[in-house]
Amino acid sequence: MVHALDEIRRTLKPDGILIDLRPMQDHWSVEVASMKEVKAAGLLTDMPIGIADDEASFRAMRDVESHGWFVKERAEEFAFFYYWDMPSEMKEYMEKEWEDFEKLEDDVYRAAQSLWSSANADARVRVRMKMLIARWSKSKVK
Amino acid sequence: MTLQKDPEGFEKKILHKYADFTDKRILEVGCGEGRLTWRYADASNLTVGLDPDQDSLRVAHADSPSDLRGRVLFTQASAKNIPFAKETFDIAILAWSL
Repeated sequence: MVHALDEIRRTLKPDGILIDLRPMQDHWSVEVASMKEVKAAGLLTDMPIGIADDEASFRAMRDVESHGWFVKERAEEFAFFYYWDMPSEMKEYMEKEWEDFEKLEDDVYRAAQSLWSSANADARVRVRMKMLIARWSKSKVK
Repeated sequence: MTLQKDPEGFEKKILHKYADFTDKRILEVGCGEGRLTWRYADASNLTVGLDPDQDSLRVAHADSPSDLRGRVLFTQASAKNIPFAKETFDIAILAWSL
């Protein structure tokens, strides 16, 4: 990761900026949302590989900062939602795409099914992800 | 399966709050199928999407709006060896890729 960040730095102009945009593991919540209301079904379980990936990412940015390659200007967290029409679609997607990163526990899935089946017809199931965005400026020194 | 990602557009809003893409040269690392690319590329002077996965890049190419085809390039490459000269870009985006 650090080598890639050094390579990105090489291709940036002297006053260039780097935007780091990525999801962070943090027990993302499963919700049933309709126009009328949003109800929480429970939390996903963070898996070790995803946690390790996050730690490696933060470590890489700390390294490039300590090397003086980039200077952090600002950062914040925000929500990013994945929506599915029904809980079974969410489960299928997670088992296929997020297997290494997030686990949908049976009790959370059952809660989502229950909330969805009793909700308004427009209700969908969603996952609220925690996102990070950070802006870094290319340092003049190396 | 019907999957929608960020229909509220929170990601686009915050991305534009963090950088002004107008007439800039942009490098997007980990562009994948170009989902994020189309949220800012129309403002740029040049956008280069980088990804090691050729299948994803094929989708990105296929989805390219015709009016952006001259300004948006997709390249199969790793961030460890970026096939561009030094000091080419104004902004680099790590798109869910760090």
